[in-house]
Amino acid sequence: MSKRKSKETSSVNGECISQVQRILRERFCHQCPNGKLFGVQLQYKHLLELLKRTTIHGESNSALIIGPRGSGKTMLLNHVLKELMEAKQVRENLMQVHLNGLLQTNDKIALKEITRQLQMENVVGDKVFGSFAENLAFLLEALKKGDRDSSCPVLFILDEFDLFVHHKNQTLLYNLFDISQSAQTPVTVIGLTCRQDILELLEKRVKSRFSHRQIYLMNSFDFKQYLRIFKEQLYLPAEFLYKPFTQKWNKNVQSLSEDRTVQDVLQNHFHCSKDLRSLHMLLMLALSSITVSHPFMTGSDLLEASKSCRMDSKANIVHGLSVLEICLIIAMKHLNDVYEGEPFNFQMVYNEFQKFIQRKAHSMYNFEKPVVMKAFEHLLQLELIKPIEGLCVRAQREYLLMKLLLDNNQIMDALQVYPNCPTDVKQWATSSLSWL
Amino acid sequence: FLPLCVCFSLFPSVVGSQEKHAVVQWFSRITELPLNKRKLLRREVSPQEIFLDKAPGYGTDINVETIIKNVKVIPLAPEEVVPVRSKGKQIFFVKESWDGKCFKPLSPGLLSELKEAEKKKRNIQMEIESRHSASKSSLSKERHSQRVANGINTPGARKKLQLNSMYTAILYLIQKMVSNINTSNTMQNLLLVFEDFDFSLQPEPRTPKTPRNATPRIPIRNQATEKPANVLEEARLRLHVSTIPGSLPCREEEFQDIYNFVESKLIDGTGGCMYISGVPGTGKTATVHEVIRCLQQAAENDELPSFQFIEINGMKLTDPHQAYVQILQLLTGQKVTATHAAELLAKLFSTPGPKRKTTVLIVDELDLLWTRKQDVMYNLFDWPTQRQAKLIILAIANTMDLPERIMMNRVASRLGLTRMSFQPYTYKQLQQIISSRLNHIKAFEEDAIQLVSRKVAALSGDARRCLDICRRSTEICEFSSQKSASGLVSMAHVMKAIDEMFSSPYINSIRNASLHEQMFLKAIIAEFRRSGLEEATVQQIYHQHVALCRIEGLQIPTVSEIIAICSRLGACRFLLVESNNKYLHVRVRLNISQDDVMYALKQE
Repeated sequence: MSKRKSKETSSVNGECISQVQRILRERFCHQCPNGKLFGVQLQYKHLLELLKRTTIHGESNSALIIGPRGSGKTMLLNHVLKELMEAKQVRENLMQVHLNGLLQTNDKIALKEITRQLQMENVVGDKVFGSFAENLAFLLEALKKGDRDSSCPVLFILDEFDLFVHHKNQTLLYNLFDISQSAQTPVTVIGLTCRQDILELLEKRVKSRFSHRQIYLMNSFDFKQYLRIFKEQLYLPAEFLYKPFTQKWNKNVQSLSEDRTVQDVLQNHFHCSKDLRSLHMLLMLALSSITVSHPFMTGSDLLEASKSCRMDSKANIVHGLSVLEICLIIAMKHLNDVYEGEPFNFQMVYNEFQKFIQRKAHSMYNFEKPVVMKAFEHLLQLELIKPIEGLCVRAQREYLLMKLLLDNNQIMDALQVYPNCPTDVKQWATSSLSWL
Repeated sequence: FLPLCVCFSLFPSVVGSQEKHAVVQWFSRITELPLNKRKLLRREVSPQEIFLDKAPGYGTDINVETIIKNVKVIPLAPEEVVPVRSKGKQIFFVKESWDGKCFKPLSPGLLSELKEAEKKKRNIQMEIESRHSASKSSLSKERHSQRVANGINTPGARKKLQLNSMYTAILYLIQKMVSNINTSNTMQNLLLVFEDFDFSLQPEPRTPKTPRNATPRIPIRNQATEKPANVLEEARLRLHVSTIPGSLPCREEEFQDIYNFVESKLIDGTGGCMYISGVPGTGKTATVHEVIRCLQQAAENDELPSFQFIEINGMKLTDPHQAYVQILQLLTGQKVTATHAAELLAKLFSTPGPKRKTTVLIVDELDLLWTRKQDVMYNLFDWPTQRQAKLIILAIANTMDLPERIMMNRVASRLGLTRMSFQPYTYKQLQQIISSRLNHIKAFEEDAIQLVSRKVAALSGDARRCLDICRRSTEICEFSSQKSASGLVSMAHVMKAIDEMFSSPYINSIRNASLHEQMFLKAIIAEFRRSGLEEATVQQIYHQHVALCRIEGLQIPTVSEIIAICSRLGACRFLLVESNNKYLHVRVRLNISQDDVMYALKQE
């Protein structure tokens, strides 16, 4: 009886855990407009009012949303659009055109995309025809026909706005802004960008036509708010099926946020990057350690996640090298110290290595030169060293000038954790003069 | 281009002679009407619709022999729709009359008269065709222009009919009928058509083709726009740049100069160029449009010879050579390639047209028409110098010394020395612009308007900026919690709007950056100080960063994290980061001044 009961609870738990992981993963990975916004109420209101006026009063506008990567620009816009679309009056009266600077890499493509999204394409079948010039004339004429009172307002959303600036003559931007400043079809142009110097990139006549509305998103929260965001992100929703589990989970999250180690982990993370995407990454890693036997997140989970988050990629590669390759890297390090970062070639490294073998090494086997060369080339392939650009491309392999892409600190840290490193190699690493 | 007429009476020209004459009323097809006037109709016109042509100056007395063919003309009341009848019969519909300036619906009296005539005289509608040796289009165009010019010269007298035997039968029929009419001695209404070519030659309508030249449009909105509900919204509406003000204050002088220039050229019937420069937002295009509007008004009141107005914008062209295509299309409606258009335009402007109207061409954003050979600019400014061209060009651009800077001598010389530059608005002018736009709506405090104008005048003198700031301040006023007692836009609101628009974002965003990002900036400055250079590699900065972290007792970030921080700052353009995969050896520069960084970091 008791056995059956325990089995039942475990099955519920299994179901429960997978549900929890699904919900939270969705929250972390998708920019779902159901998620919560943090600390951008003012910007939210500004944008909402702006778009409302466009749709309801037919007022043309232009605005830029500026903020570093991961500060929630798209999220803000999606939230605003979602709320906007709930009103019937807006839903029936607004046309949206979404462009992305990474997809519409020139104005020609952008124009075709606009005509397509406005569904007034001059098409035969589904193929858009007409030259670039014709398309532009077509679109401009269409937009010119409309007026404030009778035409459907059009919302242009330009993601990666800074890339549009590099289009030839900024034709698209000029025309969009020009329409927004003349008595034609009401349009609102919203640009999203992470570049703070965006206004300086606009040509002066384009800039004059831009209304200079800038909405800044800055991640302007402190650590207390960050902790609260952390909790909000982990809390299960009240409508979650398994009520008792929800309670326990949320209680655990609360106690986590008060835990000293967790706070330290979060503090370090916060110091490094304020953007919420990196927090999501951290939580995602911690979430993956949750299993039926380990149903609640602990401080050590977060610690582990944080460690793998801030892992140094190049140092990680060093862990997997052979002792010979490590020796070569150490030789390069010494060369760097002696010649103050001047580039080196294989022959120099080989000589340095030979010095070590002859005077100091007890455990090292004296490899032949081709073998050492092979190890050297392996390092090249791993991009731990890199040939310097420009001159000496035609030099012999041994004399190609190289640079080490590792810092001394990285090498020493990597050696600390390198498994089974011979002691003489370690000693050699700390000082090139240790044989004296 | 195909003259149509209705015949009201037939009579022998001289009593007893064989020649019979008819008194007719002319009709026009849509293609005969000037391009720019067609828009007045505001609807699609089917090719079967014709207009009662009341323009004065046409001969109404024609030789019967020139009548070729009859067609059926059905008068329609204004509210009726032109039915679509595609096949076979040549039926025309008349709905509106045209008096050379505008369209009017048929007067009820005339309508009923025509209807009566149609009912009664169905049997005597005639079908007559005339043959011309010259090509259709050119001839008809010529004929049109001549008809406009020279009303006495009726088409009948001008056209020698080359009737062959095929038509004699018809003619015989007519003559017989005419004699009948004469014997019955009643006023007869005949609907007659002069035709250039046979309708049967036109292809039968097949499956509807995708309309290549269909005028595209944005869908109509479902609900009406809301009217402004309060003073602030009303003010916002009026302050929008797109609102066309009743008058343009502060540009009276420039307006007068341009007006006089164009007017004198129009009266003389010559051509010329004028170059207009000024920084963005000083009302160049607006003033020129205002001038054109006034001139058009004057032309309509017959104070000036009528002219054709076209406009191109360098920024709205994908390529300078597209200018030819656009000009030709606006002038004649033809759609050809750029090279062909250039040839056609050159021909058009170099051949004398006896009654050619003057063309006024606005070229906005002239500098965009620059090409290596400068052929577009050269042609543009060369055409007006030709006597026959009658072309007036108003070229607009931003820079005052554009002709000297980018134009070759031969282009600059053709542009001539008629220059005008628009000075940036002074604060008084900006103030006047705002108040004239507001037009006695009390939404702003006087001081607030003055503040905006002074600020903008000091910065750029750009009227657009000024209006944008005003608009934004009305929004701030509307949503601010502490409304000023009067409910008007006050100084505080305006200040806030100005701050929003002009304050540099750098300081604030540095202050909101994460601790290590700020530390990285500090490390950069430390490294710059150490090396005395304005550039450093990530490795060097990393060492400084580690040292700073040790002092502060912070966790030392790994190299991967440092690189991530560096690229984040690079994406925001606080830093200029070399884009290559040199990892630690990537060189970094500051994109902001060191003082700004120090200032931003010190405040904490």
